[in-house]
Amino acid sequence: MKTIFAAALAASTLLGAGAQAQAPRPDEAAFRDTYKELVETNTTFSAGSCTLAAERMAARLKAAGFPESDLHLLIPPDHPKDGNLVAIYPGKDPKAKAVLMLAHIDVVEAKREDWTRDPFTLVEEGGYFYARGSSDDKAQAAIWVDNLIRYRKEGFKPRRTIKMALTCGEEGGGQVNGANWLAQTQRALIDAEFALNEGAGGNFDAAGKRVTHNVQAGEKTSVGFKLEVTNPGGHSSRPVPDNAIYHLIRALDRISQYEFPVQLNDATRGYFTKMSKIVGGETGAAMSAIVANPQDKAAYATLAKDPSLHAILGTTCVATRLDAGHANNALPQRATAIVNCRIFPGVPVEEVQQTLVKVAADPAVSITWPSDGRSRVEPGAPPLTPQVMGPIEKISAQMWPGVPVVPILLAAGTDAKPLIAVGIPTYGVSGIFYEPDLGHIHGLNERIKVTSLYEGRDFLYQLVKVYADQK
Amino acid sequence: MSKLIGAVAAIAFAASAAHAQAPSPDQTAFRELYKELVETNTTLSAGSCTLAAERMAARMKAAGFTDSELTIFTKPGLPLDGGLVAVLPGKDPKAKAILLLAHLDVVEAKREDWTRDPFKLIEEDGYFYGRGTLDDKAQAAIWVDTLIRYRKEGFKPRRAIKVALTCGEEGGSVGAVRLNGAQWLADNRRDLIDAEFGLNEGAGGELDDQGKPVVHNVLAAEKAHRQFFIETTNPGGHSSRPVPSNAIYDLARALDRISHYEFPVRMIDANRGYFTRMSKIVGGETGAAMTAIVANPQDKAADAILSRDPDYHAMLRTTCVATLLEAGHAVNALPQRAKATLSCRIIPGQTAEEVRQLLVAAIDDPKVTVTQPPGAGSIAAPMPLPAKILSPIEKVSGQMWPGVPVVPFMVPGATDARRMTEVGIPTYGVSGLFEDRDGGGAHGLNERVRVKSLMDSREFSYRLIKIYADQKD
Repeated sequence: MKTIFAAALAASTLLGAGAQAQAPRPDEAAFRDTYKELVETNTTFSAGSCTLAAERMAARLKAAGFPESDLHLLIPPDHPKDGNLVAIYPGKDPKAKAVLMLAHIDVVEAKREDWTRDPFTLVEEGGYFYARGSSDDKAQAAIWVDNLIRYRKEGFKPRRTIKMALTCGEEGGGQVNGANWLAQTQRALIDAEFALNEGAGGNFDAAGKRVTHNVQAGEKTSVGFKLEVTNPGGHSSRPVPDNAIYHLIRALDRISQYEFPVQLNDATRGYFTKMSKIVGGETGAAMSAIVANPQDKAAYATLAKDPSLHAILGTTCVATRLDAGHANNALPQRATAIVNCRIFPGVPVEEVQQTLVKVAADPAVSITWPSDGRSRVEPGAPPLTPQVMGPIEKISAQMWPGVPVVPILLAAGTDAKPLIAVGIPTYGVSGIFYEPDLGHIHGLNERIKVTSLYEGRDFLYQLVKVYADQK
Repeated sequence: MSKLIGAVAAIAFAASAAHAQAPSPDQTAFRELYKELVETNTTLSAGSCTLAAERMAARMKAAGFTDSELTIFTKPGLPLDGGLVAVLPGKDPKAKAILLLAHLDVVEAKREDWTRDPFKLIEEDGYFYGRGTLDDKAQAAIWVDTLIRYRKEGFKPRRAIKVALTCGEEGGSVGAVRLNGAQWLADNRRDLIDAEFGLNEGAGGELDDQGKPVVHNVLAAEKAHRQFFIETTNPGGHSSRPVPSNAIYDLARALDRISHYEFPVRMIDANRGYFTRMSKIVGGETGAAMTAIVANPQDKAADAILSRDPDYHAMLRTTCVATLLEAGHAVNALPQRAKATLSCRIIPGQTAEEVRQLLVAAIDDPKVTVTQPPGAGSIAAPMPLPAKILSPIEKVSGQMWPGVPVVPFMVPGATDARRMTEVGIPTYGVSGLFEDRDGGGAHGLNERVRVKSLMDSREFSYRLIKIYADQKD
């Protein structure tokens, strides 16, 4: 089956896609059933239940032969709907560390009246699956469940234990973040040498051609710093030079002109090295130059023109909100701004705070962040070792020959962070290719290309197998 | 006490001493009227301006005013926000009237916060305590009392004298609208209140720490309050991918420029009079700067010295200051809109559009829009301060407080006077009510007025209005 699929792809991606849409393979039909059930289980904060979704996935694993003792439904105290599922597929070698498959089962809110179709009914239309969570992240969650069912049914005996964690609360809607909760309370149960997670896939260009296959190795941390100025205020008919709003906006003006130092890590070095050949020209040359010398100002200037490249070259901070004053005819007694920083992996939050204090250069402006009184050092990016990259490159080359595997640093955040923080290097890899609109993740009419979903399933099925038997 | 004040003003002292010992019948009557008005709660939360207006009308009717001379007005839907217009007709049908304006409503006062019941008139140690004892029921009661006295005396003025007692000067609150009676009259009963000029609250005299009168102020101009919105927009995006163009930063730069911008000095009559007279009182470097800026409003050095004081700074020019900021829609999204509200206090003679143009020029960034909220009315031309207004004030003031200078000035804030001025009735603030330096707790706790000051103000007003009423054109 694999051979046919790979050959068809090698001959023509589009042909392969067309053939699949018309006739899913029998194993794909079983997967589709799992996926449909998961997508149609509402897991929003407002009206859904991760616990129900976890129970339903556990029931499928049990039906496939998983003993109850290997299925752990873990519900945070006082949050009965925020359940998580950890499943264990034991390996032969008790000394080999496990591989962990991580996905979140909660989804962003979706209002029926805003969507063209019911967001909680899986609708296949024009080569796409439409539904909330069809992509983020129930595609990968369903693939992980399906992988375990297939391995069990095949009688696959892996060397390493394969673990799966389906968690709640990744989207920040109000549910308990399951990945963090498990990392803090079930560290032994989820222990693994490394983990695979959402956060990367392949890219189609606008013409439908595959451009790159991305692997995510590291994420920036988002911290909202609060800038605040207070003042005795007074009547607006009698302005005085000392004004809360003016202190604040002058500090913001200085922050807007500040650039954090250039930083590179495994992911961005890999990214620039690979992309320099694809992009070519002045930008390509600048990519090669900055890898050779991160202090190359000219190369930095060239790359920083592109906001997406600028964002992965170091920490960035930007003002996102302002709020000041209490009456239109009164001098402001308080002025606040939120400066949202995306902190480069491994940089302590306090260091960014101190930099902002220095740049704002005004003792009247207080700069704080929600630290809960604890010091916080953000985890560094996981290393990109041949052990991790080798199998990805090998299977990718079989399925999509000629499409380069490109490491990336994510400017946004996923659940990889809490796992990395407890010593489980976590990578984003899915083999699911996305069109330039990214499938409207978090937005209206979220969708995923049917062929891409099935390909991703085939890719991850093979990849986890290779990792599981790796020495 | 008699010795201290006697040195200042023999006449005032004699009158005062007489009051304290044995009030005359007309003083007793005034006090009764004043007490009734103060004790009629006219707060937005629990009071009624209409009731206060009716009570004052009843007193005037008892004093001989006819129903046709008394107009109680209310706006449908706001039955508690009424007011009273009373007219003492003049002999000369061609002579234009004088309008005496005062507001009936008072700022909220909580019994538990005050030392005494705020709605009981309490006399203690030479002061009347109560909400509104100063702002503005002192003048409201004096206007009513003055008309009653004239009618009882059989005084036949050449000009008509009109009293307008209105509600809503202190404003409404969030979620509760209050009718501004002065505006309503200007818009709907312009004929009823028509006058050559008006007298209103907003100025009095100042006592020093020993209770000695220092200066007698006349409010001869008010700045107009106008809001401007400074706005920037941007396509926005995700905050993980900042771009150089940012609505908040564009706004920040615009506000920074505005914060450094100074509107040009404009010397208006009220300021010229104020600085000329105050230069002698203040003396020193500041006094010299006052003289210099009157001689040459473009004198930068004089401006710099005076503008160290926020009050002088605000008197010399239009000011605009940022009072509100609002931007962004999510902490992790680049802002699509950023907006600041500027509170501008526009000096008489300048238009809102001129101010807007100066702001646009100061910001100097086509990405930034400067707009006025809809419905902002036009700004009144500066009021003249002719001798026919000022001379009678100086004359009566000289009788009662000899040697105390009468000093015209402009308030950077606003009273109801501008609503009259804007419909062609120039309205001046004058009361002859001398206040302690602490301002008597107007708007605050334990509002009070010095009994002697109130009685002197009553006498001053009685004499002043008589002169105006018989004045030739």
